[in-house]
Amino acid sequence: MEYLYDHYSGAIYGAVLRILRTEEIAEEVLQDIFLKVWDKIEQYDASKGKLFTWMIQIARNLAIDKSRSKENSKAKKTDDIDYLVGTVDRQENTEMEVDAIGLKEVLQKLPVEQQFIVNQLYLKGYTQSEVAEEFNIPLGTVKTRLRLAMSELRSLLSIE
Amino acid sequence: MNVEEYISSGILEAYVLGDLSLEEMRDVEAKLKVYPELKEELAKIEAASEQLLLKASIAPRVSVKTALFEKIESEKEIRVIPLRQESMIWRYAAAASIVFGLFSSFLAYTYWSRWQESQSNLTQLLAQNQRIAQDYSTVQNRLEEIETEVRITTNPDFERVVMKGTPNAPQSIASVYWNAHTKEVYLRIQNMKALSKENQYQLWAIIDGKPVDCGVFDSSVAGLLKMKAAIQFPTTFAVTIEPRGGKSSPSLETMQVAGNVAKV
Repeated sequence: MEYLYDHYSGAIYGAVLRILRTEEIAEEVLQDIFLKVWDKIEQYDASKGKLFTWMIQIARNLAIDKSRSKENSKAKKTDDIDYLVGTVDRQENTEMEVDAIGLKEVLQKLPVEQQFIVNQLYLKGYTQSEVAEEFNIPLGTVKTRLRLAMSELRSLLSIE
Repeated sequence: MNVEEYISSGILEAYVLGDLSLEEMRDVEAKLKVYPELKEELAKIEAASEQLLLKASIAPRVSVKTALFEKIESEKEIRVIPLRQESMIWRYAAAASIVFGLFSSFLAYTYWSRWQESQSNLTQLLAQNQRIAQDYSTVQNRLEEIETEVRITTNPDFERVVMKGTPNAPQSIASVYWNAHTKEVYLRIQNMKALSKENQYQLWAIIDGKPVDCGVFDSSVAGLLKMKAAIQFPTTFAVTIEPRGGKSSPSLETMQVAGNVAKV
């Protein structure tokens, strides 16, 4: 368990924090995620994917539930424009960008529209339907663009 | 299903991101088990996604880890409780065994003493039984005696000879039953005085003027007493006092009772 935490807490916390945008809440949710993983570990089924995938699925679910349950959801909607225009204002954002330097370099090699999708989904913590809704892109297009981006990334990250 | 088409829809990428509804997820999971190509594709997407997310890592504060593992420890303790309950069960079992053991000992002792009691009761009963058997045989003997007595005293073949007290013992009286056919002689004491241990009464039959010994008896004899048979017809029966065991000829001066046989 400690190995899992040391190995994946950063990646999961990053994903959760980008969804929730508040450190205290993200930390709370991170704890819930690992408690749930610890509690349900015997339910993990390797045929359904890697352990990390399973953990990310749990993480995103908990984080999105949390963001919907709290007033955050209200804030998020009214602040939509702020996020679009000035994400730099947010303190966490600087951290994110520092951590993600290597990532940015890779992402820049992608076509712009793919870059945007990966950015929204992986770095801003949006769901596919949120992206589709907020940027007026058909959900199918979001999906195929992500698919193309991931294929490209596989060769860029030399995964084959 | 066209696997290529399915893959190109981008659903696996959405799956890896946890961006699907529960039903969609179940559907993808079911298909993953059926189509190995899907699983292969998924592994590649997962690898890319994992790298992306690892590159986008943000380290949480150390306090989060501390708090998390404290919580896990405390949950472990909660999970341990069933084991404790199990050990409680053993404690109860041990307590139950002790109680059962004590109870068994108590029962064992109780039944042992009851057994002992029964044993002594049985011994008493056996003794009592023996006594009753003895009493019964005594009664039986006595009954037989009485039957004999009745048979003899009511038998017309027996002649009763009453021997009355001589001047030596005017109060004494005894009877002889004598059968002329069988020659049997029986004696019954009605009233004879007690004698010292050295002496006994002796019955005589007077045949042709000579006394013939018919046996000795004690004053304490009850009922009808069978005496020696008188071979010939006696004229008189008489009782004398003689030393214990009797004599061959009577000491006539000690004669106590005497009676004559009626002529047939």
